[in-house]
Amino acid sequence: MSASVSPIRNPLVTGNKSYHDITEDICSPTERTPTPAWVLTFILAVAGLALYVFCVGWTIYVGIGSWNLNRTIGWGWDITNFVWWVGIGHAGTLISAILLLFRQKWRTGVNRAAEAMTIFAVMCAGQFPLIHMGRLWLGFFIFPYPNTRGPLWVNFNSPLLWDVFAITTYFTVSLLFWYTGLVPDFATVRDRAKGVRRRLYNFLSFGWTGSAKHWQRWESLSLILAGLATPLVLSVHTIVSFDFATSVIPGWHTTIFPPYFVAGAIFSGFAMVQTLMLITRKVLNLQDYITLEHIESMNKVILATGTIVGVAYLTELFIAWYSGYIYEQFAFYNRVLGPYYWSYIGMMSCNVLSPQIFWWRKLRRNVMVTFVMSIFVNIGMWFERFVIIATTLARDYLPSSWSYYTPTWVEIGLFIGTLGLFGTLFMLFTRLAPVVAIAEIKSILKDGGDQYVGPEVARKKAAETTEAH
Amino acid sequence: MKTYNKEVLYGLYNDEHDMLKAIREARAQHLEIWDVFTPFPVHGLDNALGLTESRLHISGFIYGAIGAIFGFGFMTWVFTRDWPIIFGGKPYFSAPAFIPITFELTVLFASVGMVVTFYTICGMGPGILNPTLDDRITDDKFCIAFDTTNASEADEDKLRHFLNGSGAAEIDTKNI
Amino acid sequence: MNQFTFAARQKTVLIGFMVLGLLCLGITFMTDDQFHTRFWTNYLHNSVFFTGIAFMALFIISAFTTAWGGWFVNMKRVWEAFSSFMIPGLLLMLLVVIGLWGHFHHLYHWSDADEVAKDSIMAGKAGFLNKNWYTFGTIIIMGIWIFFYQRIRTLSLAEDREGKGIADGYRHHKLIRIWTAAFLPIAGFSSAAIIWQWVMSLDAHWYSTLFAWYTGASWFVAAMALTIMLLIYLKGQGYFQSLTADHFHDLGKFLFGFSIFWTYLWFSQFMLIWYANVGEETVYFQERMQNYPVLFYANLALNFILPFFLLMRNDNKRKYGPMFMASLFVFFGHWLDFFLMIKPGARHTAMEAMHHADGAHAGEAAHHAVEFAMGFTIPGLLEIGTMLGFLAGFLYVVLNTLTKAPLSPANDPYIGEATHHHVWPYID
Repeated sequence: MSASVSPIRNPLVTGNKSYHDITEDICSPTERTPTPAWVLTFILAVAGLALYVFCVGWTIYVGIGSWNLNRTIGWGWDITNFVWWVGIGHAGTLISAILLLFRQKWRTGVNRAAEAMTIFAVMCAGQFPLIHMGRLWLGFFIFPYPNTRGPLWVNFNSPLLWDVFAITTYFTVSLLFWYTGLVPDFATVRDRAKGVRRRLYNFLSFGWTGSAKHWQRWESLSLILAGLATPLVLSVHTIVSFDFATSVIPGWHTTIFPPYFVAGAIFSGFAMVQTLMLITRKVLNLQDYITLEHIESMNKVILATGTIVGVAYLTELFIAWYSGYIYEQFAFYNRVLGPYYWSYIGMMSCNVLSPQIFWWRKLRRNVMVTFVMSIFVNIGMWFERFVIIATTLARDYLPSSWSYYTPTWVEIGLFIGTLGLFGTLFMLFTRLAPVVAIAEIKSILKDGGDQYVGPEVARKKAAETTEAH
Repeated sequence: MKTYNKEVLYGLYNDEHDMLKAIREARAQHLEIWDVFTPFPVHGLDNALGLTESRLHISGFIYGAIGAIFGFGFMTWVFTRDWPIIFGGKPYFSAPAFIPITFELTVLFASVGMVVTFYTICGMGPGILNPTLDDRITDDKFCIAFDTTNASEADEDKLRHFLNGSGAAEIDTKNI
Repeated sequence: MNQFTFAARQKTVLIGFMVLGLLCLGITFMTDDQFHTRFWTNYLHNSVFFTGIAFMALFIISAFTTAWGGWFVNMKRVWEAFSSFMIPGLLLMLLVVIGLWGHFHHLYHWSDADEVAKDSIMAGKAGFLNKNWYTFGTIIIMGIWIFFYQRIRTLSLAEDREGKGIADGYRHHKLIRIWTAAFLPIAGFSSAAIIWQWVMSLDAHWYSTLFAWYTGASWFVAAMALTIMLLIYLKGQGYFQSLTADHFHDLGKFLFGFSIFWTYLWFSQFMLIWYANVGEETVYFQERMQNYPVLFYANLALNFILPFFLLMRNDNKRKYGPMFMASLFVFFGHWLDFFLMIKPGARHTAMEAMHHADGAHAGEAAHHAVEFAMGFTIPGLLEIGTMLGFLAGFLYVVLNTLTKAPLSPANDPYIGEATHHHVWPYID
């Protein structure tokens, strides 16, 4: 009955777990009183959130003039942060949807947290287009609704409006996907809880019973949502790239942007998953569920996507020369050797060169190295967006309007503030919901857990047969 | 708390393979299973129970098609009938530029529609509380339940006997 | 039947088609214009198409092996056999190279020194678009691909003969893993470079950064489609009995998914160029939409709409009829896609060269409506015959390679997974 598993696969769940052990290990963090480490991190995150609220308030009160944007450089840290955050969100959908379609079973250890990360990252991302409009109270103008202004419709031909649709759809679908996956696990928490917590999880678990028919529909729903989320995740960053690529600005208008943005998004998202999961697995004692195998697999994805991004960088550079179009050539000359050369160096070294260390198995399986690398990649991908946005704008067609841009404290505060917002939400998530998908882990235990099959058993068997000969 | 007004006889199994074997046996003996509850989706359970394939994906296709037609149709109406404007030298009916939003609406309609359908047909939703047989079903117990509301004592004995013989770790009745 | 025997009847049929292909090439050559444009474009088109499929098969093995895929190993011999066509593929491309040096053809505008001298854009590209690079790129890059093919194939066969499974720690498989992983980035960089040379430079002025990935996706889908058709045929002949509906289901998913991915790349490239409306770029699509409308829309219909609706249902992916149909259309569709990439640019080059030879003003022909011409505006019977000839040649090499090893890689660590492969929800 149970599927045949190759002897060279390592177990996905270690520590000889029973089903009950899994429930116990994953639910207990939501039941214990928070540890001092959690409280400390939470306070730090909330402080960041407070900074965020203050800076948003300042921006709205003073106006966009409190930022250092100018007539040449109309997009700076705001849109850089937007693209960076949206990109980070993509790994969650990749792990939960695309890896589900590709039957990469190791995804079960990290998909829940990665999806949560997606939702929180998209929330952070959504802030920036909203506040960069300046007059936030007119934000509802971006939605097409019958109005007394004509009725004047929004411009459906504008990539910025496509963004509105893409981001809201992405957020909604990710939330539904994530929550539908959570419902059975909330039921597990519910059935262990008492008092007020029982009432809370009664509400959150939507009346889940675990009936066979419900499971069947649930699986069908998960699979189709995964099928829908896969092109969706591609479309979202594609549309973000259209914000730039539909223009006629040299350095922005290039056809490789859609797939290259998507690869970069997955790249940065996996780095963020690594950063978060390396800490979470330690703090919540989940080393048996998020094993070195998981970390190694994610490092391979980072290596692969980092290299794809590298191919794209070099393609752009080469085709800029090949095009024979002097403005295109200048835009790329300027990226590499212009006033923002340091951010190009940061991008190239963090995104393309440094992940190459993951060709070595030893380094892929080293937790400390992985953690440092994940931070590197996060920084590198931020630089990439900065290179694309600010560097390109700083040198336009008229040398007289060339400019240079540095952020004000408000812009820096906003960026750090969104880290606080993200952190606050993620810390709350680790308290409220099981951070590993309980039901899904249980369903792979018998073909991915070490007490049933795995190299140990296979090795023993092989040893026995050789002895018999 | 919702109630089904049923008296249920159920057996709890410790292992999904024992449960699957019991289900196949019960079906071979023509015992009518009311429902089966498991902590996770057990592969092969649908076939063992003889469940028909879920038709959720068909509803998804229909919702998606509605979203696509609505999105594309609406933009076409706005830009060719209601308020034609030329943007960037594009024609009024600039189909390639309508594709992204059409796609997003297709996905949005299909996903939201399917999720709502899923919760509705499963009788679930925020605040709804369906009765459960045992708290450990969401942990590590696999449950086969028989409806004994109108069953005779002899039938109930037969079911009890069956559960006993098929390796159920615990057997109990409950009114839900 | 674990050992494939290349039946005499199959050989006869394939040789028959190869003769037909040669005949068609010959007729094309005889009835052609002074530069033999139709002959050379047909030759280049099919050489690039089938060589690319061979390359993609190696890429597929590499990607799947690196991702620790287990389900495909009982069909990996077919992909190994596909990649063996890279060797004749190199020979085919070498003829184009020879033609370039001997001025036998006017495929590439940049190969004409007089034109380059007059044209500042092409002069700017001369550092890359020149005979030396074309020759060097073709030989070195394909040489590297063939080298990797030899390594991976040798190890795979050695595993079959000498592999001791768990006892020697799956030594061969671990080596294959290293070679396949190393091949992926090399394939990524080199395929882009070679596509720019072989295909994109046909429209010597035009450029698109996405073009190489788009072409690669086209090769990938074509390779999948051909795999499905060949496997259905071989299974009907009694081979590959360990392949079940579940394997075809997964192949079908790849065909479906990557058809959509191809469409995504097509749309990204088209939409961005359409939207920005820069003359230097739009000329590429302008030319194809106005002078090749049938092919332009057939391309989308065959490669997106048809597989999308045919393969959306799971049932269809598990039936041989619909799968074969979908693969057939998609395979032909991607052949048309390459036709559409190659013919218009080469035709313009030839027309300009002819005007030039006649003393007329060069460049006159470009950017104007061109007349309907069989073999250019749509593929004629000669093109179909040539394609069948190349296909027969491809299959001859593939089937010949298949005879050289057992069809099932018995010592592969994943063979158990592959033979017990089930796709949700078709379990048990």
